[in-house]
Amino acid sequence: MGHAWDFATIFQNWFALWAGLKGTVFIFLITVFLGLSGGLIVGILRYAPSRWVNLAARAFVEVFRNTPVLVQIIWFYYAFPILTGIETDPFLAAVLGISLNTMAFSAEIYRAGIQSIDLGQWDAGKAIGMTYNQTLRRIILPVAIKQVLPALTNRGIEVFKMSTLASVVGYVETLNQAKLIADLNFNPIEAYTGVAIIFFVVLYPVVQGTYVLERILRRGDQ
Amino acid sequence: MEWNFLAVMRDFDLLMLGLVNTLKITGLALFFGIPIGLMLALSRLSTWRIPSGIAAFIIEIFRTTPPLVQLFWFFFALPILVDIRMTPTIAAVVTFSIQSSAFFAEIFRGGILSIDKGQWEGAKAIGMTYPQSLRRIILPQAIKRMIPAFMERSIELLKTTTLVSTVAYADLMFQANEVAQKTFRPLEVYTIVALIYFVLIFSASQLSIVIERHLAKSGEGTVH
Repeated sequence: MGHAWDFATIFQNWFALWAGLKGTVFIFLITVFLGLSGGLIVGILRYAPSRWVNLAARAFVEVFRNTPVLVQIIWFYYAFPILTGIETDPFLAAVLGISLNTMAFSAEIYRAGIQSIDLGQWDAGKAIGMTYNQTLRRIILPVAIKQVLPALTNRGIEVFKMSTLASVVGYVETLNQAKLIADLNFNPIEAYTGVAIIFFVVLYPVVQGTYVLERILRRGDQ
Repeated sequence: MEWNFLAVMRDFDLLMLGLVNTLKITGLALFFGIPIGLMLALSRLSTWRIPSGIAAFIIEIFRTTPPLVQLFWFFFALPILVDIRMTPTIAAVVTFSIQSSAFFAEIFRGGILSIDKGQWEGAKAIGMTYPQSLRRIILPQAIKRMIPAFMERSIELLKTTTLVSTVAYADLMFQANEVAQKTFRPLEVYTIVALIYFVLIFSASQLSIVIERHLAKSGEGTVH
C-alpha cells in the first residue's frame, strides 16, 4: 500500500485526455441520437399492420438484444467489410455497433410505452376521424414517450458507458487516451483512476437526475 | 465474396474452449457477486450511517463507471497498490463479481423494501432476532419477487464478460480473435461466434420469460 499517488503526469498530459473526452462526447451524441430515434421507428414498426414488417422488426430487436455489443462492434469492424466491401474505420464500426444495439433496446422501451396506453385512446382517435398515423403522432406517442422517459434516460447512461468499448477497435476516446498516457508514463493507477473519476463525475448527477424525473412523473400520474 | 466455414470448423474446439471459459467466468462472478450483493444491500439498508454510506458509495461507483474502465483498473492499477501477481482470470473474476454485486445489491434492496413492514413486526413479536426474521420471513418472500430481475441481470453479466478478452482472458470473444487471425476468415469466425452468443443468450431470455410468467401466475409480481 506504499504507493505515492502522483497525478502530476496526468495533468501534464491533459491535452491527450481532452482529445479523448471530445471523442467520447462525439461518439456518445451520435450513437444516442441514432439509437433513440431509430429505436422509435423500430418500436412503431413492431405495431405495423403488415405481418412481415412486424416480424422483421422483431427479428432485428432479438438479434441485437441477444448478442453482446462488443461482438457487434468487432463484427462490424472485421466481418462487415468482407461481406459488403464497405470499409469500416474504428469510428464507423463503433457507431454501427452501439447505435444498432441501442435501437433494439430502446425499441422495446417505446413498445412498452405504447402498450401501456389504454386501447380506448385509439378508438377515440378513430372516432373523431383521425387516421392511424395521426392518432399515433398526436394522441399515443406524446403520452407514451413521457411515460418511458426515465427508461430512455437510463439507456442514455448505458450508451455513455458503452462508448468505452470503441477503444477496443482503436477509436480515440477517454479510456483509449488513458491507456496511452499509462503506457508512456508508467502511471496506470493514476490514469485509470482518473478515467473512473471522470465518468463518475459526469454520470452521477445524471443518475440522480433520473431519480428526480421518475418521482416527478409518478407525482404527475396521481 | 464466398462463405467458407470449413476452416472455422477445424478450429471449432478452440471456440468451444472459449465458450466454457465464458460460462466459467459468468458462473464465478454470480457465485461471488450474489452474496456480496446481499451484504451490500443489508449494509445499505442498515440504520447505522457509516456502513450504509460506504455501501451506497460502492454501489454508485460500480454502477456509474464503465465496466471496461473497472476491468483495466483491477488489471493494471491494483497490482501497484497491493502486492499481488495479477492474472487475467483474477482481474476478470474480481471485476465482474464486484460490478454485478452492485447491481444485485439494488435488486436485493428493492426486494426487501417491497415486503410489508408488518412482516418484520410480526417476526419481532414472536421473538425472532433481526437475522432470524431476515432469513426465515423476509428473504424467502423477497427472493421470489426478485427472480426476474436477477435473471435479467445475469444475462447482462453474460454479455458483459466479453470485455475480459481485452485483458487476454481466453473467453469465447478472445478465442474468436485468435481463430480469425489464424484462419484469415474473420467473416465466418465472427458470424459463428455471434450466432453462438445469440443461441445462448436468446435461450436464457426465453427461459426467464417462461419463469416470469409462471411466477406471475402464482401471484408474485416483478419488482422493478
